[in-house]
Amino acid sequence: MAQATVQARTGRSRRRGIENWSAGRLARVVTMLFVAAIFIFPIVGFIAMAFRSTEGVEAGTGGFLGLGDVSWENVRFSWSQVNGFGPDGGLFTKWMLNSLFVAGGGAILALVAALPAGYALARLRFRLRRAILLITLVTMVMPNTVLVIPLFLEVNAIGAVGELWPVAIIMGFFPFGVYLSYIHFMTTMPRELVEAARIDGLSEVAVFWRIGLPISKQAMVLVGFFAFVANWTNFFLPLALLSSNQDNNTLSIGIQQLIGASPLFNPTVAAGLDVKLYMPQLALATFLSMLPLLIVFLGAQKFLIRGETVGAVKG
Amino acid sequence: MTTGLTEERATRAPAPPPRRTRHPRMSRGTEARGAWTLMAPYLVLLLIGGIIPVGYAVKTSLEKAPTPLDPSSGFGGIDSFKTVVTDYRFVDTFTNVFATLIVWLPIMMIGIVGLALLIHASPGRFGSTMRFVYYIPGALAGIANLVLWVYLLNPSQSPIEGFWHALGIETIKQAVATPNHLPFILTAMMFFQGVGSWIIVVNGGLNGISEEVLEAASLDGANAWQLAWHVKLPIIRPWLGYAALMNLAYGFQLFLEPQLLDQVASNALQDQWTPTQLGYAFAFSNYNFPAAAAMSLILLVITLAIGLLIVFRSGLFGEEEH
Repeated sequence: MAQATVQARTGRSRRRGIENWSAGRLARVVTMLFVAAIFIFPIVGFIAMAFRSTEGVEAGTGGFLGLGDVSWENVRFSWSQVNGFGPDGGLFTKWMLNSLFVAGGGAILALVAALPAGYALARLRFRLRRAILLITLVTMVMPNTVLVIPLFLEVNAIGAVGELWPVAIIMGFFPFGVYLSYIHFMTTMPRELVEAARIDGLSEVAVFWRIGLPISKQAMVLVGFFAFVANWTNFFLPLALLSSNQDNNTLSIGIQQLIGASPLFNPTVAAGLDVKLYMPQLALATFLSMLPLLIVFLGAQKFLIRGETVGAVKG
Repeated sequence: MTTGLTEERATRAPAPPPRRTRHPRMSRGTEARGAWTLMAPYLVLLLIGGIIPVGYAVKTSLEKAPTPLDPSSGFGGIDSFKTVVTDYRFVDTFTNVFATLIVWLPIMMIGIVGLALLIHASPGRFGSTMRFVYYIPGALAGIANLVLWVYLLNPSQSPIEGFWHALGIETIKQAVATPNHLPFILTAMMFFQGVGSWIIVVNGGLNGISEEVLEAASLDGANAWQLAWHVKLPIIRPWLGYAALMNLAYGFQLFLEPQLLDQVASNALQDQWTPTQLGYAFAFSNYNFPAAAAMSLILLVITLAIGLLIVFRSGLFGEEEH
């Protein structure tokens, strides 16, 4: 196996018949494919679930992972149930828009704050620089849920619980974005370049704006992408700050409500509802909630592949 | 962990002519003023999103909780901390977290190291495809991962219903609420969701090992196992330490999974199974804000200690002065 590895590594991997594979290589490939299968099958089955009918699921038709049971008709029915939820229906659409507002607004704020801060930390000297860098690193590696109750108390003190804007502002605090920008300017913008720009008469802010920012497209995409994903999937912060106002829920806590209204888990509550939310409907709601993430992923893809090792630091 | 970007960047960086001379009129004052201007938006958000809430939580935790008999609040000293620590659920929630960590951390670390090494031993398209496949479940974060697991855990329609039936489990309530099941279920959920992104981090460390080192070891007669065990593992130790500590800290913030699994299991679990759930209950069930603040400060201190350990001991966050 070591031999095969070295060969492939040096780019001379010749195609050989599988009968020539060593036992080690075979074991490695089989193990990796087996793990991949464990990861993929549940997801395929789950997506198929979004396209199935409750009757089909109950009867167990559809064969392997229920793939034989999928149809567009099922999706249309499930959508009418999912989006029919709420006193007048349409709550799901509202949650989607709320999520777009807080996650998008938070990501824009994170971008506006992170790039200049990362630049200043990387290339300028000022008092407290190391202290701010340390605070940024520590807050970056701490799970953000530990701050949710204190944040709730803060927002409660100004009487803004249930409003969307405080959530967007709090999501704008994204130390990981500052760290990414810091690394970005450390590695792309030599000190000499900054000094040359100063000699040309640019102010400190202008050096960042006219020279630093134009070479930062990748950092911008990475910060924006990771901020958006983190905000979109954030559950605890919206739960604490928004669940008191049903119109201002986000998708993550909205889906929790859908689960709570499912006859599968809560027959008493579900009996009083016009809509019936079984597993296909819950899967469809989840699937739809993932689509915006898929879209931003496809948009950011080529930048992610280049910077993926940095990107995964806070997965 | 920054090697990937650093390498990419190094080749694309603009190379200005080196000028070492300092501008005579450049004073440190101008530089500092510029720095504070650029830092301003971030500092405002840091205050709103980090410093003020922590300060306010400290203040709140030292207040007296208003009760129906005595609705006044005011300075209460460390009463709220006493309330929290002596709560009958307090110790249990930490025991539960430790029970989960004991199952989860070793499995997670073995999974991360094993799969990252396997991928590193598979250069070319196969390795990178597998790395991507392992990452896919990570995209189903939070509530999406939960609904996916509800699908897997519910024997009536699960694709692994045979597995559940073999264990004699017929309902999702049994699957979740049978004593001692929860740490294993949480382990499975978090492994599924998290292992892929950690593989990428550790893989970044492995890719930083120079070809010469690996080839020298091969020429010395090291086989693939010896190469992985004696050469690659010691080099990526900082990344593994980082992964272990980050996952340890993650354990103390568990909330969504136990909270919602309780919901789908007809409330058969303890309502406050983790410390974060307990803090949430203080705030939103008892409306005892001082106790909620005290609970979150206790968790803050624990995760802060882990965070400082990561920053100062993992060796990954040294300042890279160029």
